[in-house]
Amino acid sequence: MVDIIKTVITRVLFLDFIKGLLVTLKYTLSRSITLKYPDHETWIPYERFRGEHKLHRNEDGRELCVACELCVAACPTDCITVVPMEDETGRRGINDRVAKVWEVNLVRCLYCGYCEDACPTTAVRLSRGFELACTDLDGTIREREALLTESPIPEHYEGGVVVKAKYIRKLIQIKPELWKQKDWWPAKPGRSKKR
Amino acid sequence: MPSIDTLIVVGVMLLKVLIIGGALFCAPLPLTWIERKLAGRIQQRLGPHRVGPFGLLQPLADMIKMFVKEDIVPAKADSFLFKLAPILAMAPIFAIFVVVPFGPDITIPFIDYKVSLYITDMNVGIIFVLAISGLAVYGLIFGGWASNSKYAMLGGMRSTAQMISYEVAMSFAAVGVVMMSGSLSLVDIVTSQSGGFLNWNILYLPVGPLWFVIFLIAGLAEMNRIPFDMPEDEGSLAAGYHVEYSAMRFAFLSLAEYVAMVSIAVLLVVFFLGGWDNPLGSLIPILDYVPPVFWFMGKVGAFIYFFMWLRFTIPRYRYDQLMTIGWKIMIPLSLANILATGMIKIYADYRITDVLEMVGLKLW
Repeated sequence: MVDIIKTVITRVLFLDFIKGLLVTLKYTLSRSITLKYPDHETWIPYERFRGEHKLHRNEDGRELCVACELCVAACPTDCITVVPMEDETGRRGINDRVAKVWEVNLVRCLYCGYCEDACPTTAVRLSRGFELACTDLDGTIREREALLTESPIPEHYEGGVVVKAKYIRKLIQIKPELWKQKDWWPAKPGRSKKR
Repeated sequence: MPSIDTLIVVGVMLLKVLIIGGALFCAPLPLTWIERKLAGRIQQRLGPHRVGPFGLLQPLADMIKMFVKEDIVPAKADSFLFKLAPILAMAPIFAIFVVVPFGPDITIPFIDYKVSLYITDMNVGIIFVLAISGLAVYGLIFGGWASNSKYAMLGGMRSTAQMISYEVAMSFAAVGVVMMSGSLSLVDIVTSQSGGFLNWNILYLPVGPLWFVIFLIAGLAEMNRIPFDMPEDEGSLAAGYHVEYSAMRFAFLSLAEYVAMVSIAVLLVVFFLGGWDNPLGSLIPILDYVPPVFWFMGKVGAFIYFFMWLRFTIPRYRYDQLMTIGWKIMIPLSLANILATGMIKIYADYRITDVLEMVGLKLW
């Protein structure tokens, strides 16, 4: 009997409809999860992200890479080519060895990060660059000069946010005050921010 | 040679027709933008945002696209009826606005000329509205029939059956409004509800809310929108009666749909929500300076928003459910409600404000 009364009240007052309308109202007021990528907003991946390779320099500006070719040995897909040479400092030994050719085929690479692990001087590290689209196959091979340029995303920035695209696009170093703190996944109780 | 006064009257009338017609022709442009934006918001998307600021120029871009597209008439279609159908769908809905009052008479300053904010104050306004809006179904059935396509045919047939079913309940609801307000003229219906929201027909207890719900549901069915958009059910009929239409003829059909939505919103406001009446009466003095047209437009806008909101919330009814609601629930309910309204009108014709005055409470 109570059930029948409840059903009648629900039907007469359209309570089911109101419940549904409130759900959509909640979504209307919630934030959109669509990004205006690539024009206005772009996503900065988390720190653990493995993207395009970068070669690094030490504080004096000298290349860290000593062309030991361990990355070549570690690479499961043979996508890295290293040709060593001696530079003009005149010293002998490991210190004056640099890479004459250091190129990576980004199409063959499977972004496993073994080269990063194998590198004894931490010269090669996988950056967070993921915009690798190009119009011909020549664009998929990164030479040493291109790999030595600095990534627009600071290496120790934790990431996982959306920023205005112009900071990335114009290769401006992102400064902390420009970080538009916007989590990709809306924070929900029971789920920590770093997943 | 007619006198100068006659010429002025005719000129003002023509001007009003032009303004209302132009506004209705342009109304779908912002409405499509609002609808798509709202759909985006509800589905956590952004909606159109590429063309112009916030995608505001998107409807214009769509219009240009519609203009330059090829106008296809199927080879085996009945070309005369096929071309006639969009006009037949559109014209009656525009004609409804001939009797709709948008506000009270206004006096133009300096020249002291009185202008009424309706085209005509027809003394059988409600009957005119029902008669004319019933004609709009011809556009749909002709379009479906002349396309010579089974989907369009089914869509047209469904729309006819649906319109016939719900026209009855809608007419009964209109009868209820006539009984509550005591007039067939739309201007008199609005003036009979003046003086705050407690006087509105929707709060003519206990029958007012029921009439409102019946008219709302029948109106939703009449304008072929979700949850009653059987004639253009994408899942089973491709696009229903306008599946063969393209370019400007398609644009006219969708324009007719949008204007139908506006017209149902306008009728709901005029019949149940006191038209241009200020909701709080003269309770808050500063609200007296708000022009009445603003209240009218605000209420219509709220209803249009509600229709769009509803569209992206609930799924469509199955065809037999639609018929069950129409014939087994709405029509008996409205017949019983006519009886109840008649009894109340004879024995206890009180609005809420009358009751409040009787117990010594005067709000305004």
